[in-house]
Amino acid sequence: MRLTVNGRTCQLDVAPDATLLSVLRDELHLTGAKPACERGECGACTVLVADTGGTPEPVYACLALARAHEDDSITTIEGLSSPTGSHPVQAAFIEHDAVQCGFCTPGQVLAAVALLARDPNPSDEAIVQAMSGNLCRCGTYPKIMRAIQSAASAMRGTHGD
Amino acid sequence: MAIDTRDTRDTGTAPRRFVTTTVEVEGREETKVVELPEHEPVPWGEDAELAIVGQRATRVDAPEKVRGRARYTADLTRPGLLHAAILRSTIARGKVTLDLAPARAVDGVVDVIGAAELERRIRLAGGALFDTTIAYAGQPLAAVCAETADAAWRGIHAIVARYEAEPHVGTFDAAVAEGAPTVKRSSKKPASGNTAPNLVPGSPDVIERGNVTRGLAEAEVIVRREYRTPVQIHTALEPHGAVAEWDGDRLTIWESTQAVFRVREQVALGLGMSQSSVRVIKEHMGGGFGAKTSAGAHTFAAALLARRTGRPVRCVNDREAEQTDTGNRPCTTQRVTLGARRDGRLTAIVCEADVPLGIGGWEGGPAGLFQEMYSCPNVRTVESFAWVNTPAMTAFRAPGHVEGAFALESAMDALARELDLDPLELRRINFAERDEKKNRPFSSNRLRECYDRGAARFDWDAPRTSSGRWRRGKGMAAQVWGAGGGPPAYAIVKINGDGSADVLTGTQDLGTGSRTILAQIAAESLGARLGDVRIVLGDTERTPYTGPSWGSMTTASVGPAVRVAAEDALRQLIEAASEILGVPVTHLRANDSVISSEDGAQSISFRSLCDQLGDVMIIGRGARGPNPTGVALGSFGAQFAEVEVDTDTGVIRVVRIVAVHDAGRIINPTLAESQVEGGIIQGLGYGLFEERVLDPATGRMLNANLHDYKIPTIGDAPRIEVELLDVADATANHTGARGLAEPPIIPTAPAIANAVANAIGVEVLELPLTPWRVLGALNGHPERSEGSQGSR
Repeated sequence: MRLTVNGRTCQLDVAPDATLLSVLRDELHLTGAKPACERGECGACTVLVADTGGTPEPVYACLALARAHEDDSITTIEGLSSPTGSHPVQAAFIEHDAVQCGFCTPGQVLAAVALLARDPNPSDEAIVQAMSGNLCRCGTYPKIMRAIQSAASAMRGTHGD
Repeated sequence: MAIDTRDTRDTGTAPRRFVTTTVEVEGREETKVVELPEHEPVPWGEDAELAIVGQRATRVDAPEKVRGRARYTADLTRPGLLHAAILRSTIARGKVTLDLAPARAVDGVVDVIGAAELERRIRLAGGALFDTTIAYAGQPLAAVCAETADAAWRGIHAIVARYEAEPHVGTFDAAVAEGAPTVKRSSKKPASGNTAPNLVPGSPDVIERGNVTRGLAEAEVIVRREYRTPVQIHTALEPHGAVAEWDGDRLTIWESTQAVFRVREQVALGLGMSQSSVRVIKEHMGGGFGAKTSAGAHTFAAALLARRTGRPVRCVNDREAEQTDTGNRPCTTQRVTLGARRDGRLTAIVCEADVPLGIGGWEGGPAGLFQEMYSCPNVRTVESFAWVNTPAMTAFRAPGHVEGAFALESAMDALARELDLDPLELRRINFAERDEKKNRPFSSNRLRECYDRGAARFDWDAPRTSSGRWRRGKGMAAQVWGAGGGPPAYAIVKINGDGSADVLTGTQDLGTGSRTILAQIAAESLGARLGDVRIVLGDTERTPYTGPSWGSMTTASVGPAVRVAAEDALRQLIEAASEILGVPVTHLRANDSVISSEDGAQSISFRSLCDQLGDVMIIGRGARGPNPTGVALGSFGAQFAEVEVDTDTGVIRVVRIVAVHDAGRIINPTLAESQVEGGIIQGLGYGLFEERVLDPATGRMLNANLHDYKIPTIGDAPRIEVELLDVADATANHTGARGLAEPPIIPTAPAIANAVANAIGVEVLELPLTPWRVLGALNGHPERSEGSQGSR
């Protein structure tokens, strides 16, 4: 099958029941998406799949079959930043210390990126709604809230509105 | 940074190189013989002028974490890597016979091991590895390795297990009842006078100071309550895991652990190897909270299968195993009696606690908090620990004190109501000037400042009562925790050819920020730029020993060792610069990685200096010195909670928590605040949702997943306001910092429970404060519903 990840399309030999998470991690060695519950309860494996309009949607890679995403454009945490710089959400997570052990962080960052793509100026309530599928046992939630607010503000500034 | 040291050796006699000191670890004092460093730096006191320590530096490993580049154990791949999985018992007690042959026939399976394949007995916290005598549901029985993880699991499912189940006991009461089946054979007998079965040797553990009978006779008001707390599961998002690889007779293990040296010791012992043949590495880990301090079945399975197959093997717990068998905070029943004078002075504190430990673990009970928290002449604690047929407990963030705080602090509020005293006032009246358990003064105890600042910030005196469906209430609770750290801990600072520094120390960063604060201490002490310092942790071959990352010990234990090592390196840099610049050493200072003369006339950067030194390497060495004598070391705090309770549904909404903590000097305020917030959120989970549910009939855990075992989400996090006193405790150690990892989880649940009682006018005596327990209390049925007893 063909899989397009972080802008690169590759040909892969994939079992019909292989999850997107296992293909990303074991075949493509993109280990930023983490296996933590492997049943769609924690969000540590979150990746972005662009919808038909190109807007990124968060997807639990542990529940997604790789073959169901043959024609999709997938972004993992490794594809979010350029070699020259961080995505504004990543920069805000660093600045506001929205990171402790870091295991859930790639999923948190991508869920936040998807939120801000849909809603550039989210209310606290909208942030809670969008992020409640991403668990953090270290309890970085207050800092995640602040980081997303800060990133939203920075990104609106960048886009001139 | 200039070098200013005092010689700690007694100059009148021969130098003493080793001395005896005491170190408190998870509430227990240990005596150790440790090295007395030749030079102990002058303590960074309250007015020390520090440039990097105390700054809000960003977490040094945050960039790699937000970019997904930080590697955790499951991310590691090795050429020819095999994947392992573990078969676990579905019964709680009895015998099993395994037929492994069908697993060997599964496509992709490379090797299968059970009890028969073990050359020697390997001890784990829950008994011997792959023991066919079963003592709890979830006990590891066999392991399979295969070319893929899926194939390994197919192999596990192909194993034919024939169980002969026998009666088991899952609760304290069942375990100690006459005629109960024996959970664990023990050579030692319980303390005299108690012949109940399954009591842990030494139980009941009775500690009494003064005379509580007299204290209760003197009391003008007495409150008695029975509290219950649940089994809490650590639930680190990264499961326990190991990758093992052999090179001849040498074994390397990459393990997600809080304790690389302890894992090495256990693996060497378990496999009959020398410690120098085993290397344990931990770079990043996805949380631990106390659960990741030992080599586990996954570690030995990986090591043994790797040896048998000649290929590297990875073994990572699935979520069910992670929730079931990696330790837990044990449940408790605590019968508390408080006696007081009308003026609020405590005359007696009594706590009788029953704690079922599971099949193993250690006697981590609530007594310490009752002994230490308040000033009281008559205190008696009676802790009874029992073995039961459930997985072994292990330390979980402030073990014992979290359980004890719910009981003691709830009872204090009950007493305040009886006395018609403000709960905060009652605590002020009974403030402990000294550690009455250890009978020593605290090195520093600013709990009263925590009370004052918290009350002001929270606006404690403002009324918060309300009527109607949603009731609003306020509550508070306090904490003490022995967080002074101590030896042994070592560090080495190597100055590289370009003037940058590698700081090697065998500690671990669980996500607490140890890497960052140690880099700040090293840069401060070395006179270097923060960016010029790299911290290398968690490798038994490359880094010198430090103890496990537990007991809130790392900052106060490893920080001083890093400071000494960095100052040792700086002393040598300055001596070399003196030779090159022709300026006496006493006139040289280092700052921003540049050494300058006092008058500023001459200077040389670390880089130029090292360039001129060529391949001469400067190596600094540091050790943590002994703890001060005659004092007790503690960290303190108070938390204030505001809640809303829906009296129709019993749902609690925590609106706001104000936390004020005293942990001595704060090395990095941002990271310290993150620690406090994290502790509060875990404490909120303990208070409101978290509870292991066991099936009484089978002894199996019913909620071993993240859907049914509820940990807080972002939507559960209240508004949290953190204040840190940040006053150096120069008596504790020469950095002035004490521990802060565990303290913030201690008072959260009782502060919430007290606010709930304040809101609805009824006490809920059992955690977690689920809607049905709140409704039960509101409806006048405070007793536990069925299932509560059996499930524990």
